[in-house]
Amino acid sequence: MDLTYRCNERCIHCYLDHEDHGEMNTQEIKRVLEQLAQTGTLFLTFSGGEIFLRSDLFELLEFARSLHFDISLKTNALLIDIERARKLRELSVRKIQISIYSAQPEVHDAITKVRGSLERTLAAIRFLQAEGLQVKIACPLMKRNLTAYRNVQALAAELGVPYVLDMTITPKMDGDMSLLQLRSSTSELLPILQDASLNPRACSPNSLEAETISTGSATSSGIESQAYDDIPCSAGHNSCYISPYGDVFPCVQMPVATGNLRKQTFQDIWFRSEEMNRVRAVRESQLPVCSKCSIRQYCERCPGLAQMEGGDLLGAYERACELAELNARIAGVANPVSAMHAERSNGKNSCSIPVPTATPEVRIGSN
Amino acid sequence: MSGEITRNPKLAWREVDGAMVIISPEDSQVHELNETASLFWKHAEGKTLDELVERIAAEYEVARETARADLEELLAALGEKQLMFVAPEAKG
Repeated sequence: MDLTYRCNERCIHCYLDHEDHGEMNTQEIKRVLEQLAQTGTLFLTFSGGEIFLRSDLFELLEFARSLHFDISLKTNALLIDIERARKLRELSVRKIQISIYSAQPEVHDAITKVRGSLERTLAAIRFLQAEGLQVKIACPLMKRNLTAYRNVQALAAELGVPYVLDMTITPKMDGDMSLLQLRSSTSELLPILQDASLNPRACSPNSLEAETISTGSATSSGIESQAYDDIPCSAGHNSCYISPYGDVFPCVQMPVATGNLRKQTFQDIWFRSEEMNRVRAVRESQLPVCSKCSIRQYCERCPGLAQMEGGDLLGAYERACELAELNARIAGVANPVSAMHAERSNGKNSCSIPVPTATPEVRIGSN
Repeated sequence: MSGEITRNPKLAWREVDGAMVIISPEDSQVHELNETASLFWKHAEGKTLDELVERIAAEYEVARETARADLEELLAALGEKQLMFVAPEAKG
């Protein structure tokens, strides 16, 4: 749940606009939390924007704890001091994820556009650690800080905290695609994907400390299940995203509006939204192109990005195909070609393979 | 052991399909209670062991000694994992 889109940093890759267009007030959020608890929600993440800009943050945390939620926070930590760290510990917040773009202040601060931000964030991490709270560093990687992962890795080791590298740079929520220029090309990512200290595919399973080192998306809950083999992702199944304005989406990266909590209850949306149920009905085996892909196992296709970047929740999209081919090559597959690229290539020579289309009965409407 | 039984207030928990799922914020350890322990979790809060023994003995028609032994065993298991404990009796 994003409590606000307002922020005290101006990160160059941020997909949000930072104006307040009418955030839910304290009572509205409390009502939503009650509905979430009644529906059986256990894991609750407060994110933003910068959550500490909400003057009612601790009141909301206290209320959430009274409903026995497991609470995680995502924050830039600029506003966390000793006293706030102590309060977070008293409220039994389980995990606090904090973005760090580099261990070099000039690189980190250039991305956040706040001078001194790295120093303040690191000070806050130490306050939180002193209280015994679990901190995790998230490092979104883009052109501007591509080589920083090594110093972030070293910083995390020095602090004794886990970290996650996130290579996902998404379009803005309003559909503006200009942010994609910031992300590294797949060839630029090659050395990272080949780095045995980071990439699960490049090292033996036993050498990877899954709890302390991981690559992937920072949107992951961190508690994954193997029970979803034929489901594209957890969105709409065991997780969803709520905006500061009460809009409910299957995921923060999936622009499929399913309802608004100012007009409907969470139960109404979760159980009865047509859009939510359509998202739930999607199965990997039904994906028109990707289900036929020979290098599917190397792909980290995101349905939301398929919608945002490719225009089709069920479709393939360029970035995922490129990364899958790169990962397959690293794993030793000779001349890996994704199904989408194969179809495109074949299509140039003949019309024997139809242009991929979504199966009508499970097609997800555009936003 | 006549103090009130209480849940560890730091824990996050929710009933999922009749079973209690509990998470410890300090180590992210997930505990899933069986049916009996889940019932105990739901109904023991704020009661003393003596009260629970009386209730179990009456409802399930078992000897008090048997009910007490079972409940003590369950409470010890939950206490070992720091999920529930018996609060010290208030003085005065």
